[in-house]
Amino acid sequence: MDSLKEDLKKQIIEQLNLEDLTVADIADDALLFNDQGLGLDSIDALELIVLLEKYHGIQLTNPEEGKEAFKSIDTMAAYIRKRKEA
Amino acid sequence: MKVITAYCNLRADECLVNGEVVSRRDAGSDDSWFKQIYKQQELAYPKFYKMDVLSQAGYLASELIKRATPGISETYADDEIALVFANASSSAETDRRFIQSYEGGGSPSPSLFVYTLPNIVLGEIAILNKWYGENMFAVLPKFVPGFYLDYGGILFASGSRALLGGWLEVTAGGTDVLLFMVEEQESGMEFNEANLLHLSQRVAAY
Repeated sequence: MDSLKEDLKKQIIEQLNLEDLTVADIADDALLFNDQGLGLDSIDALELIVLLEKYHGIQLTNPEEGKEAFKSIDTMAAYIRKRKEA
Repeated sequence: MKVITAYCNLRADECLVNGEVVSRRDAGSDDSWFKQIYKQQELAYPKFYKMDVLSQAGYLASELIKRATPGISETYADDEIALVFANASSSAETDRRFIQSYEGGGSPSPSLFVYTLPNIVLGEIAILNKWYGENMFAVLPKFVPGFYLDYGGILFASGSRALLGGWLEVTAGGTDVLLFMVEEQESGMEFNEANLLHLSQRVAAY
């Protein structure tokens, strides 16, 4: 398993207080802001921005980047890798 | 006459619909009791995992009542089902968790903050079902049938045709939840003080 993706799932559970969820409950490609995925909303988007900075040292200031990056665990992991390589 | 057409009780270890046990707590499970009900009843609404315990309780009980009253949403216009809930502890459990989120040196959690009002559960149910009728959440010292009867009477006299009533007391000390649907029917369990008191004290029949 991709450890970055697993870490991200743990961090989302911790940051968003989703104690009832486990890492296994979150699919890598599940749409985070879709009711069929994780059902996150705008408040949670703020939490994800905090998460990126807190755990990965990445500041997200461009809302358009956020829209793409926060689609799923897959896209979040790709975004983090891209930012760290830059 | 107004009758109670379905009701759901959530207790510490059992979930009952119309007096019949539909879920039992597995003490050996790692899942929370509400997550156990969610899985056992094969519900599918991922937003459940984001909710605080009060909203989870309201969501679960209202979904089970909908199952017990098929077609309820189609029977009424979107503003004809009123929601009238109450409890004694408001959102105290979530309030405590929110305080803990920043007292330990962390930052206040927005995702907890949004649940630091008890009436958020009404919004969750209304959004999910697109029920845009009257709604009220009262904080009362204890379960009082007169609150539902009096306020329900006002609502029925002013356009509401059905009422989902609820007592949602979920604390670290226990779970005491009763939701009930009230509709106009020719016969059935009358919506009155004696029946509400009876249902609020209902325990599983073995």
